[in-house]
Amino acid sequence: MSNVVMGYKQSTFPKKLAIVSGIILLAFVILPFMVGSFQLSLMSKLLLFGALAVSLDLVWGFTGILSFAHGVFFTLGGYAVAYYLKLNLSAENNNYGGDIPDFMVWNGLEVLPWFIAPLKYFPVAFLAMIGVPALFAYITGSFIFRSKVSGVYITIITLALSSALTTFFISQQAYTGGTNGITDVSKLSVFGMVIPPVGLYFLILAYTAFVVALAWWLTQSNFGLILRSINENENRISFLGYDVAQYKIFVWTLSAALAGVAGGLFVPLNRFISPVYLAVAFGTQVVIWVAIGGRGTIVGPLAAAMILGQVQNSAERVTQDWNLIVGILLLVVVLFIPNGLMSLVPKKFSLSNLSKPKPMPETVVKPVAPSVSEPQPEPVQRGS
Amino acid sequence: MLDLALSSMLSPVYLLAQEPAAEEVVKEAFKFSSLANQVLNGFGIVGILLLTALGLAITFGVMRIINLAHGEFIMLGAYITFWMQDTFNMDLLMTIPFAFVGTAIVGAIVELTIIRRLYGRPLETLLATWGLSIVLQGVIKLIFTAQLKYVKAPSYLSGGIDLLKDEAGSPLVSISYYRTFIIVVALALLAITMFLFYGTSWGRQIRAVTQNRSMAQCLGVNTKLVDMGTFAYGCGLAGIAGAVISALKTVAPPMGQDYLVDSWMVVVTGGVDKLIGILAGAFLIGESNAVLAFFLNDPTARVLVLGAVIVLIRYRPEGLFTVQKRT
Repeated sequence: MSNVVMGYKQSTFPKKLAIVSGIILLAFVILPFMVGSFQLSLMSKLLLFGALAVSLDLVWGFTGILSFAHGVFFTLGGYAVAYYLKLNLSAENNNYGGDIPDFMVWNGLEVLPWFIAPLKYFPVAFLAMIGVPALFAYITGSFIFRSKVSGVYITIITLALSSALTTFFISQQAYTGGTNGITDVSKLSVFGMVIPPVGLYFLILAYTAFVVALAWWLTQSNFGLILRSINENENRISFLGYDVAQYKIFVWTLSAALAGVAGGLFVPLNRFISPVYLAVAFGTQVVIWVAIGGRGTIVGPLAAAMILGQVQNSAERVTQDWNLIVGILLLVVVLFIPNGLMSLVPKKFSLSNLSKPKPMPETVVKPVAPSVSEPQPEPVQRGS
Repeated sequence: MLDLALSSMLSPVYLLAQEPAAEEVVKEAFKFSSLANQVLNGFGIVGILLLTALGLAITFGVMRIINLAHGEFIMLGAYITFWMQDTFNMDLLMTIPFAFVGTAIVGAIVELTIIRRLYGRPLETLLATWGLSIVLQGVIKLIFTAQLKYVKAPSYLSGGIDLLKDEAGSPLVSISYYRTFIIVVALALLAITMFLFYGTSWGRQIRAVTQNRSMAQCLGVNTKLVDMGTFAYGCGLAGIAGAVISALKTVAPPMGQDYLVDSWMVVVTGGVDKLIGILAGAFLIGESNAVLAFFLNDPTARVLVLGAVIVLIRYRPEGLFTVQKRT
């Protein structure tokens, strides 16, 4: 991770980066025509997990807030879409009679609860998919970050949040479907036309590309520079007059919204959502992707999520102990490669290098816009 | 907010816990006894919480190591007990020292190979111990398979004490011997630990190292040895906890996860300043859980207690029972 000092040339179009990412994107566009339906759905899933990992990377890798609660945001978005799909189950698949979902009937509910009923309509469900995780994150964020609580304690709070919500969702069986969650949802359709798996794949690919692009743009901007400064020295950045809590709350909420949409797209693909994705174990999975891939790089977590998922898929055919391998890998990375696997990639090929403009001649006086870079006049290389 | 109709929809597991609540409609007199029962139940929970959190109070409270593998040390203790009972047909009480020594040795190895490299880097420690917990679960699964194991409680600890009986002689308020046993063990371990920490030279060295590592080093304290010993001791305590509770619950590789969050909540509530804080933390969390579960239901009580702990961390991250110091 290198500190980018903004210069006037920053606005120039990063040609190399555009070419590389264009080629990668093209490969992903061609992919569905090369692989079978199983690989297609697996790749769609892994792309979503990649987007989730990038959203965590925004708060952890760049801002330094380690969260085990990203599974929670993911699942909240997922439930919003699951209710929508469940309530729109077409009449012929609705074999239990009545307008309300099967699990509610089994649990003795006779009327659709008022807070679930509006999710039958697409605009409401769409807004809920983004809004519910974002609102939840905003409330928790403004509660946590406007205090002297820091570092590890925030992580423990996210652990407790995840644990509490899992218990809550399992206990409210009539409203959430309990341990089973919401199953047998209808397929996603537009104007009465069911979206085929390839269509869903492209939708997911577009979303993941959007998340990656947004994360890249955000972290290259002045805003991203402030986030990194918060990560490196929170006190100094607040002495410079920035409202650190405000920035943290913003990036926390944004990241939750991104995770929520990933969860929302996950439901039509997976055809169910359950408290499994709320639990600490799934939240940890996301943390592991980011840790192994490399904090503060955008490509790292994305690649780690996808590669680990693919390896897991092949490994599970031969061994039952995939988790053991992940655990060992995590230990090795933390102990010996603290900046993640991306730090092993030669600097020449790293993303930040590709997106950087050509080095300026030393004689040029840098018209530095953000005041934050003043205490550090030269780009400081951190890590290896 | 959450009426009784809701609790009737809960799964049988929760209904089982609701048994005292079902009685309350019968007679007003029952209400007192079932509440008393629930409070006593709460003491049982307090015992378990205290026992499982004691090891963490050492590793986190004293050494400030963010130990997410704490639950797995509890699991290791439970498996040692299971293994010894299975192969040598030993009494559960006899296996406790072995559980302590076994987990302490594993703890010492872990400190030597992993924790030592990460002092002063809390987030890395957190990740590494999480990786360690996955590895320990995987290894145990390899050796013992994922099957649930059962540990026999000693026969002389079955049954319970009836504190109050109705006219027909059936118990109204009672507490089982085993829960009492857990509470006694927990309190005894707390007392021993406090004696070790405040009454021996080893304890003085530990406190010196936590207060000022480099100064202690200058004065000739072997800080590395102290670190290793303390961590191993904390892990050994977790092992004892595992051995004792193995008879209450089924023994399985993921069992430690259940205790991890609870132990953390106890230590954080009690504060890390004084060891006695975790007694207060365990008491507060255990009893409020039990009493809230009596009036509402088990999951709601858990959610409320966790919410309260989150609020507590927000306002007093140093814990309820810590004296504010100027640093």
